[in-house]
Amino acid sequence: MSALTRESLWAKLRERGLVGGELPAPEADRSPWFVRAMLGVAGWIGALFVLGFVGMALEGLMRIAVASLAVGALMCAAAATIFRARDSDLVTQFAFAVSLAGQALMANGWFDLLRLSSAAALVVGAQQAALFFLLPNFNHRVWASWSGAYAVVFALGKLGLAALAPAIVSAAFLALWLREFDHPRRGRLLRSGGYGLAIAAAQAAVMQGPLIHVLLFAEAAGGDRVVMWIGAAAAGAVLLWAVVALLRREGVALASGPGKSALAGAAILAVASLKAPGIGPATAILLVGYANGNRLLAGLGIATLIGYLSHYYYSLQATLLEKSVLLAAAGLALIAARLALAKLWPETGIKNHA
Amino acid sequence: MLQPRSEILSWGEQGRIAPTDLRPALRLAAILPTPAQWRRFLDRMLLFMGAVMLAAGVIFFFAYNWQELGRLAKFALVEALLVAALWLVWRLGLERAPGKAALLGAALLTGALLALVGQVYQTGADTFELFAAWAAAILPWALLARFPALWLLWLAIANLAITLYFQTFGGWLGIAFDLERQLWTLFGFNTLALAIAEASASPQGERWALRVLATASGALATALAIIAIVDAEHHSAWGLLAWAAWIAAAYAFYRHRLRDLYVLAGGALSAIVVAVAFLGQHLPSMDPGSFLLLGLAVIAMSAAAGYWLRTVSAESGR
Repeated sequence: MSALTRESLWAKLRERGLVGGELPAPEADRSPWFVRAMLGVAGWIGALFVLGFVGMALEGLMRIAVASLAVGALMCAAAATIFRARDSDLVTQFAFAVSLAGQALMANGWFDLLRLSSAAALVVGAQQAALFFLLPNFNHRVWASWSGAYAVVFALGKLGLAALAPAIVSAAFLALWLREFDHPRRGRLLRSGGYGLAIAAAQAAVMQGPLIHVLLFAEAAGGDRVVMWIGAAAAGAVLLWAVVALLRREGVALASGPGKSALAGAAILAVASLKAPGIGPATAILLVGYANGNRLLAGLGIATLIGYLSHYYYSLQATLLEKSVLLAAAGLALIAARLALAKLWPETGIKNHA
Repeated sequence: MLQPRSEILSWGEQGRIAPTDLRPALRLAAILPTPAQWRRFLDRMLLFMGAVMLAAGVIFFFAYNWQELGRLAKFALVEALLVAALWLVWRLGLERAPGKAALLGAALLTGALLALVGQVYQTGADTFELFAAWAAAILPWALLARFPALWLLWLAIANLAITLYFQTFGGWLGIAFDLERQLWTLFGFNTLALAIAEASASPQGERWALRVLATASGALATALAIIAIVDAEHHSAWGLLAWAAWIAAAYAFYRHRLRDLYVLAGGALSAIVVAVAFLGQHLPSMDPGSFLLLGLAVIAMSAAAGYWLRTVSAESGR
């Protein structure tokens, strides 16, 4: 970023009385999301090798659950100390890899002690939640948030409640991102958790249904029909909640033209979610991304929608005929809603200033 | 690289912007949407989601192959929808969003029509031929419309046609024996598409579609290099050379000609993966020490890449 551009942005805000004093010095670790993503993926690859080293060097010890837990905890503690002590790329990447390998050892210990059960998954979820707060690094927090959320999804699957996962993870995602601007001093903490939950919500929205259930949870059943209906209804409700919350945040009355238009579109997609439960959460990610001016989240929402529709073709929840009727009806209803939008919220007369 | 959103949020974290002033500041910097932008977004979302879901519904319907509906009725249905979509394109024009949405719908419906022809007349055509014909049929529309989403749809269909071709003619174990030729073809196709797209792109235009293409091209180059390293007996070293050429070209173009940090970050990750594959392949044995060495190598290379990318990011550009 050029100094001139930062200066002009600061001056613009100062002119309106939104900031005061001199322009702060640029932060050294501000980098675009794809640089962080590169570091995260590389750290993950590095962690696999570190885990291979520890696994081979301490092979005998790793077969004892408690030893695996203890070594894993020590590695995470060492990583926490390194994160707090130094902030260079090299040291941070090393701590990231050591912590990830430590977490894998701890997860191995818990699953060894408690078998491949929902209890073990919930303990791993709690472990990741604790590490989220204890290890102060953005990429690490994204990882801890995602893996913790996915441990909960796994626990739900083991309890026969996998159908509730898309709605629960999406609700957590929304609860966080809808408050992104309410706690600016904790912004980085919120966003790191939010990105982890965004990935988990996208994954839970796309990867659902009986086939995925067998692959992920090694269970033949996808939960009973009542749970599936509740999960699908909740997935639609999550979208409606997102729309209502955003309308309130923007100060738009629900009964106004814009409010009715937005609610009509959300209601159509919520109804479609009853038979295609990925639609609600995917649209919610897109909406919140757009509302918060976050193009990465909005892009993730679009990718989730495309991913879900591609997966939906192969899902075993309904016949292709039923799916075709649902999609065509929802598509037509959305186009009709767009036509209604022109009447309820005409383009002319919109105030374009903030 | 100007990131006004991150910058304002960072000032908020430092306490330089009061919590109540954060959203007004983001609005002032045009980060948060205005009412007019919200209306436009809602309009586009309803339009494109409606068009895609309707067309997907039609494709699903013909994939179901409902026997109770006669062949004439099936053709009449899909052709009527296709004609209606094209009529809308003609009436609304390609400059407006509804015209583009109608064209996207028409492109999807073309696939349904071609699948129906194969289904009804049992043409004996392989699946790759359906996708190749589909890509050929909608190519003129993609050329005319210059609309990124339609281009990406076209590229996805063409990639699928190439993949299915190698699955059909790949010998008795399909992909396994013809993997290298398939990767070469996909790499050549996507790299050529990327070069054409970059040559014709507007410097100030949106880059998301170009980045998707660059990701595909770079991932395929990386895959070619990795199979050349880990299975040198069965694969030629040309894959490694092609990857090196890709990295050099990407560095020259995206560092010096048109600064795109996204592609540079992807290239750095690709270089780390290839270097680790090379190191792993040439270590005398995979003992604990080798694992530690590889882990430390990844950590060191990624840290160096992160430092370099931040340095580039600090310069002006995109």
